[in-house]
Formats: sequence, structure tokens, C-alpha cells
Amino acid sequence: MNTGIERFNAGPLALAIALALPMEASADAAYDALKSQVENLKKQLEQVQKTLKSYKKTSASKNDVAKLEKKVAEASEWKSPNTLIHMSGYADVGYSDSKDSSGSFNVGSFSPIFHFQYRDLVMLESELEFEVEADGGTNVALEYLTVDLFLNDYMTLVAGKFLSPIGQFRQNLHPSWINKLPSAPPGFGHDGAAPVSDLGIQLRGGFPLGGMRTNYAFYISNGPELNASTEDAVDFELEGIAAEGFGRDRDGSKVYGGRFGLLPFAGLEIGLSGATGKAAVTTLENISADTLSALSGEPTRDYDVYGFDFAWQHRAINLRGEFIESRIGSASGGTAPSSGANWSTWYAQAAYRFLPTKFEGVLRYTDFDSPHISEDRKQWVVGLNYLFASNVIAKFAYQFNDGADGSPADDDRWLLQLAYGF
Amino acid sequence: MKFTTRLTMALLPTTLGLLTLGVSVGQAADYPAPGDFQRGAKTWSENCARCHNIRGPRELRDDQWISTIFHMRVRAGLTGQESRDVLTFLQASNTTPASIGAAPATQSDGASVSGQAIFRQTCVACHGIDGKGVLPGVPDFTLGDGPLSKQDAILIKHITEGFQSPGAPMAMPPKGGNPDLNVDDIQAVLGYLRDTFGK
Repeated sequence: MNTGIERFNAGPLALAIALALPMEASADAAYDALKSQVENLKKQLEQVQKTLKSYKKTSASKNDVAKLEKKVAEASEWKSPNTLIHMSGYADVGYSDSKDSSGSFNVGSFSPIFHFQYRDLVMLESELEFEVEADGGTNVALEYLTVDLFLNDYMTLVAGKFLSPIGQFRQNLHPSWINKLPSAPPGFGHDGAAPVSDLGIQLRGGFPLGGMRTNYAFYISNGPELNASTEDAVDFELEGIAAEGFGRDRDGSKVYGGRFGLLPFAGLEIGLSGATGKAAVTTLENISADTLSALSGEPTRDYDVYGFDFAWQHRAINLRGEFIESRIGSASGGTAPSSGANWSTWYAQAAYRFLPTKFEGVLRYTDFDSPHISEDRKQWVVGLNYLFASNVIAKFAYQFNDGADGSPADDDRWLLQLAYGF
Repeated sequence: MKFTTRLTMALLPTTLGLLTLGVSVGQAADYPAPGDFQRGAKTWSENCARCHNIRGPRELRDDQWISTIFHMRVRAGLTGQESRDVLTFLQASNTTPASIGAAPATQSDGASVSGQAIFRQTCVACHGIDGKGVLPGVPDFTLGDGPLSKQDAILIKHITEGFQSPGAPMAMPPKGGNPDLNVDDIQAVLGYLRDTFGK
């Protein structure tokens, strides 16, 4: 079977095999190296893919950045708005008891105050007053609503329904968290000697005067209206002055008034106030509708009010006092002619903080005189306050009232109140 | 004039809506123009307590103080400058001690001015020229058992980091609200307090 060709081919074949064996071994090594490289590359690729995946999870896309930029822009809008909206106010709850009536819990008032301000140019201020009545109903009143235009550093134009600037109690001290006693001094409430509010325009502000400071408020307004009564439709008498910011001027004459305050040194303020104008009877009490309809022709009467007030703060001591008198002239014509009448009231109050405790003692005396003896009252009030915070105050007070025998003005009473200014 | 009515269900949502608006406010504003901190502290301490218990700066945010001070400008007859000064004082003092000048006072080569000058510029608004305190609760330096009975290290810490005395209407801000005071300034003003009011 061995041929020459076979012999011829066998040699080279053997040689090729001999040569090829090392080459085959070399190729295997290259293959292994390549394979290793590929494996490494695969691992690196997997690592890159994993990193990329993780990166996608934690990094922001262009869309994300755009959304963020929009949110930042929106947030910036609120950082410096031209309009500010702000709410403050006060509320109080309490308990009262007296010799002639059973004790009861009460809600004095809830009085939110709203401020809408456009930069340092104008501010709208408004205070509402919610009160719970004895029968469970709710009184709602607009205590004041004004647009305050800041004309310059020394003058602000105040237009709308404003707290009367006659004296200090009504415009500065009536909020329950400010008043150091649970009640207002007699004569400073509704139908008292001191006007409550008015509707018109005011110029208010302050200015330095030498080494002293001053403040002022001058106004023109619709003025008050009068209540009268009669028992026989022949003889009439004035019952009271309703000075609570009427949105009409039935007597057709405006009232002009104001207050000037002087602060000769730090801690002391002295104020003089007054107003003059006309007023007319618009309400008859306990009278038939026929007589009421005739009141449109009531003549105007002179209306004058004047006051004096002071306040002094020195460390833990606070002293203040106030006098106000309102005078109504007589009228001979109309449905309800009568002589004139005067209402006057004054109080003096001392308060002392027992530092470093949170207790405060208060003592106040008031003398209120009206044309009706049943309303006249002399009152002592002694009170002890506990200040949970400067604006959260518990008040305990006892009133010694000296009025007409058997009348509410003569009934001594306990008063407890928790007041919160917010 | 007051009128009586029973609240209807229509009034309640309106009222609650208004109440909600009260908290939807911004954080800062570029008005009014800045005032003077020290003058503001003086005006605040000399006027606010005459009518009501004094309200500490930290009771309100910066934007709430703006509307509050403009309200008080009208009520109390403050001038525009006085109201800007008080606003600057309140806005600068209503942050927590940790977020304002509570950082340690910087070292220096000496007090920049005398202790008396520092006291009259930075401290007098609340502590008073006689050191007895202007506001209720501000401690009396002249009392034998008052603040000056404490050691220097404690008082320097109080001045540097701020401190609230019992009954005081607000905490004294770090460095009295003057972040420029350095270590020597604080030492100088403490020396002035001891020399002038110490027993």
C-alpha cells in the first residue's frame, strides 16, 4: 500500500505537523488572552452600564433642571412680593359672677384683624368682632375698616371707618390682650361718654419737636346720632349718643376733631383731644312706628366732646388716666324736643409687674356720670394677672360698683378672663 | 353700628378663607428701606410698653413684622424713620441665637472703641444709661446680687452668645445685636459695667 506519492507526502506532512504543533499552542494562548480581554471588557461594560443606570437614577435631566428652575422662580416670587397679607387680632373667654345674677361662662369676643399691604405705600386694615350673645346668637360687627395711604414720613391719610381718636382707650387699649383688666372702664363702651368709632377721613402721624416727640390725628366725619325716649309722647329726653361709625349723615353736618399727643421724655405721653359738630335724634326708644316715621325732620343739635389722657411707663410700673366729656345741645322743634345733656367719665389705673414672677397687679378707679342716674357708676376694680406670655394673659378681677340701688350699676362682681393676642 | 345676626353657613367659609389667607405670606420683602438697628432698639424699648406688654422680636417672622410695624406706625403716630428703625431692629433680632452672631467673637489687637462708647451705642436702649434696665424684666446692674455678681467668664459667654433673663420680654441678642464686636470690645464693655455699676 506504500506508494511513492504516499512516501513523498508523508515527509512534508510530518514536517507540517511538527511545525504546526507549536503554532497551535501559540494560537491557544492568543485565544485565551483574547478571551480574557473580552471577559474583562464585558465586566467593564457591565460596570459602565450599572454606573450609568445608577447615574440616571440620581442625576437630573434637562427636563428636571427646567422644572427646578421654574420652581425656584416661583419661590422667588414669594420672597419679595409687592403685596403682603397678614392677619393678627385677639380673642378672650371668661367667667363672671355677681351677687344679683348667677355665674356664667362667656366668650368675650373673637376679633381678627386683617392687613393687606402694598409695599410701603398703602395698607388696608380691618377688624371684625364676633361675640356670643346670651341666647346663643352671634353678634358680628365691623370694628373698623380703613385704607391707610402713607403720604410721607410724617403723615398718613386714613379713610374709612376708624376707631375714634378721642382719648386713648378706644383706639389703643380696648383689645383684651392690651387692656389690663377684663372690662372696659364705665363710659368707654357703647352709648358711653367716649365715642367708639366714626366714618370719614383722618390725617395721622408724628413728628419730632425739639427734643420731644409728638403724634397727632385730625379727622372729619359723619359724626354720631342720638337716641331719645318719652313716656307720654310729649316730654322727651336724650337717652344716649350712638357714636359708632354711621355710614350716613342724617343731620347733614360733619364733625371735626382730633387728638394731639406730646411725649416730653421717654415713657410719658400726654394727650388732648376734642371734636365739634352737629347731631340729631334718629332713634326713639319704646315708641310706635308712626312717631318714628316723623323723625326725619329732627333739628340738629350741637355736639361737642373733649378729652385729656396720659400714660407713663417706668420699668415695672404703668400708670394711666383719661377724662372724656360729651355734650349735646338742646332742641326746641321736631318730634323729640328736649334740653341738652352731658356724659362724662374718667379713670385712673396703676399696674405693677412683680418681677421676676409673671404676676401683675392692677388697680383702677372710674367715675361715670350720665343724664340718667340709673347709669351713673363709681367703680373700683382690683385685679391680678398672670402672663403666660406677653400676649397670653389670665386675669382675675373684682369690681366694686357703686350705682343706683338695685340696678346692674350697683352689682359687685367677679370677672375671670383668658385673653390671647395673636 | 353693631348688628345682630346668626352666622350662616355662607359666612363661615368666607371667614375661614380669610383666616387661611393670613398664613399665605412671603418670607421677605425689599421694602421699606433699611433703618438703624440701635435707634430702632431705643424707639422699641421707649414706646411699645407704654400701651401694651412688649412683644419680643422672635414672636413674628420678618414679613409679619412689616405689616405689624406699619399698623403700629398708624396707631402710635410713629414717623416713617422711627418705624423703619424699629422694623430693622426686630427683623435683625428674631432669629435664633445659633443662626446669628453667636459665633465666637473674633480676636483683635484691642477694643475698637471704649467700653463706655460700646455701652452707649449697643446696650443702653434696653439696659438704660443708669444700668437699671428700661423695660420690665431687664436686670439691674446696680444690684449687689445682680448680673455683675457673676464671674467674667459667664458674663462674656452671655454677651457673646445672647441670654434671656427671667421675666425679660426678649433674650438679649448675641453681642447685644452688634455682630461687629470683637473679643476685646466685649471685655472693654464688661470692664465699663463693673467700673460704673459694680458694687
